Amino acid sequence: MEDVGRQDNHKEEIMGIRKYAVIGAMALAGVSMFGLSAKAEDVKLTVWSLDRDIQPAPHLVADFNKLNNGIQIEYRQIQFDDVVSEAMRAYSTGQAPDIIAIDNPEHALFSSRGAFLDLTDMISKSTVIKPENYFPGPLKSVEWDGKYYGVPKATNTIALYYNKDMFKAKGLDPNKPPQTWDELVEDARKLTDPAANVYGLAFSAKANEEGTFQFLPWAQMGGGSYENINSEGAVKALTVWKTIMDEKLASPDSLTRGQWDSTGTFNSGNAAMAISGPWELDRMSQEAKFDWGVALLPVPQEGAERSSAMGDFNWAIFASTKHPEEAFKALEYFASQDDKMFKNYGQLPARSDISIPETGHALKDAGLKVFLEQLKYAKPRGPHPEWPKISKAIQDAIQAALTGQSSPKDALDQAAEKIKAVLG
Amino acid sequence: MKRLLSSIRDGNGFDIVLVAFPLGFLFLMAGLPLLYNILMSFQEVDMFSLGTFLRPFVGFKNYQDLFAQPETWPILGNTAIFVIGSIAGQFLIGFGLALFFWVNFPGASWLRGLFLVSWVMPGLVVGAIWNWILSGDFGVLNFMLRETGIISGNIFWRSDPNYSLYAVIIANVWLGTAFNMILLSVGLASIPGDLYEAAELDGANAWQRFWTITLPMMRSTIGAIISLGLIFTLQQFDLFAAITSGGPNNSSNVTQYWAWDLSFRQYDFAKGATISVIMIVFVMFASVVYVRSTRHEVRG
Repeated sequence: MEDVGRQDNHKEEIMGIRKYAVIGAMALAGVSMFGLSAKAEDVKLTVWSLDRDIQPAPHLVADFNKLNNGIQIEYRQIQFDDVVSEAMRAYSTGQAPDIIAIDNPEHALFSSRGAFLDLTDMISKSTVIKPENYFPGPLKSVEWDGKYYGVPKATNTIALYYNKDMFKAKGLDPNKPPQTWDELVEDARKLTDPAANVYGLAFSAKANEEGTFQFLPWAQMGGGSYENINSEGAVKALTVWKTIMDEKLASPDSLTRGQWDSTGTFNSGNAAMAISGPWELDRMSQEAKFDWGVALLPVPQEGAERSSAMGDFNWAIFASTKHPEEAFKALEYFASQDDKMFKNYGQLPARSDISIPETGHALKDAGLKVFLEQLKYAKPRGPHPEWPKISKAIQDAIQAALTGQSSPKDALDQAAEKIKAVLG
Repeated sequence: MKRLLSSIRDGNGFDIVLVAFPLGFLFLMAGLPLLYNILMSFQEVDMFSLGTFLRPFVGFKNYQDLFAQPETWPILGNTAIFVIGSIAGQFLIGFGLALFFWVNFPGASWLRGLFLVSWVMPGLVVGAIWNWILSGDFGVLNFMLRETGIISGNIFWRSDPNYSLYAVIIANVWLGTAFNMILLSVGLASIPGDLYEAAELDGANAWQRFWTITLPMMRSTIGAIISLGLIFTLQQFDLFAAITSGGPNNSSNVTQYWAWDLSFRQYDFAKGATISVIMIVFVMFASVVYVRSTRHEVRG
């Protein structure tokens, strides 16, 4: 860019130098005033993601900015609940960011309508991002119509955390976590201790995507799916949830609390087991002052098919970006840092070509092995452009059943009807 | 041309300019969005047709669909309970406090000013704080109620469908009381003192003075406060977002939160607009009451 300004004409050159001097002075003033190091001619990109300060995105952005390669990224954190609505509002008013981290079941909504940039060509030329390096599940969630509209950012699934000290205290074998739904309820009954403010289990049945994320694996283990949400196994799953809530084996606030807050009660010793994902490993290894372990999600009965949720976000570039090349460069940089993701932030890269090195923290490493095993059974939600409506029907069913306003069967029948209307 | 200019400088033209300016502003800032909202409620809208005006018209289909949904009437009922409960609580406590500070003990005006702190706080912050206070297992409110022996087991304010709406009402009463108190204090201060002196000479007791002087003299203030209260409670959104998210199972859902939920969580913008239109009718009613009661005030 600078070369364009350098002309043979002497006068212009002086003017050019002067101009740069002024810009330089302004930039200096900018540095001293705001502490920004952006140069005036830098390409500016904006990245939106839900990652907070101990999670990857803000660090990736900061490290990328330190490269000083003529691209500066501005980072904005958005709340989990607001990601899609903010993105949509911004896109429809022409103020979309260049890059966004979007929850994988919602990716199809945007790519099916052309809101995300088709990256197929750029990926085929890239030496960093190669489709064959990714797990098939996460990769499928960025696909639409056989084209790639994003890059998996990370992946995760859910499993059962349990407090081994509490297992010992209640006479349970700390090396035998519950294997089936019946065992889970039985153990939760033994572990629940209202006098000590301890619930048997912590999970989330919140009326947002988190509720669906936690329930769908149970329905799938029982032979159901989102297209077949009122199958016998799914009804049984919801009945088990209802038992857990009715007998106060989990806090009634599970209905309005997300997974992060719910697992917080496990870390503080107010719940003996918790269903959550690998994103908890880091915080737990710092906060939990007890011996804990991770087990695969319990199944309906011994030998039944396993299942789990497939979560986490994808990177995508909005079709409205003015700097597609630069934005893709940023994604390439993010992907090049995938190998450090688990060590630094406890998140799992969606890559099959990266073998995650041991962190040296015994509990964390043991937990990781279980999560990698559980990932084999992880199933994506959708992909379907109308996933939010499908998910809402499932959330409504969960909440209606758990508050006792309808039976699990009726609630799921109603959900099935709503989903049928969406699927057409 | 000259006549036009002089008319603008001094005459009818000047009046017209004075009226046209705020009218134009109102039309741009409030009228257009309102009309756009009404337009949307008769159209089929999805997230990617948001930027255009010409979308397929569907007549009253959005309204019919809305009232065919099983949750519609309960949510309208919740809204009524929320509005009435919040206004009653804010007004009664606010009036009580205003009368209390009216006694004018040392430091009264100072303390009254401090009460405004709650009104100044952003709704989301208030919501987050009440979220902790109302938390079921470790909430301060449950702790206090338990220690004083009022309850034996924890109440799950946010997650029990029988309490969730009242949890938000409690927070909203706390948030709005100070505003009510200040406006009522102003009203009280404007009542001439000689009226009370005369009444006292005639042998009226405190109760009679309150009923025959204070309340009638406060009529326009009270009318204004209650209609403002209706508008403010129908606007209250942050507390729902922070405390219950309208749950569990819509037990604490109200129209204003539902409109947002439909528009920005389920991307059903047309239905969100439809609910807003229904709300506009109620807010219009409150505005008319407000304008009428303040007009009464000006005439004295």
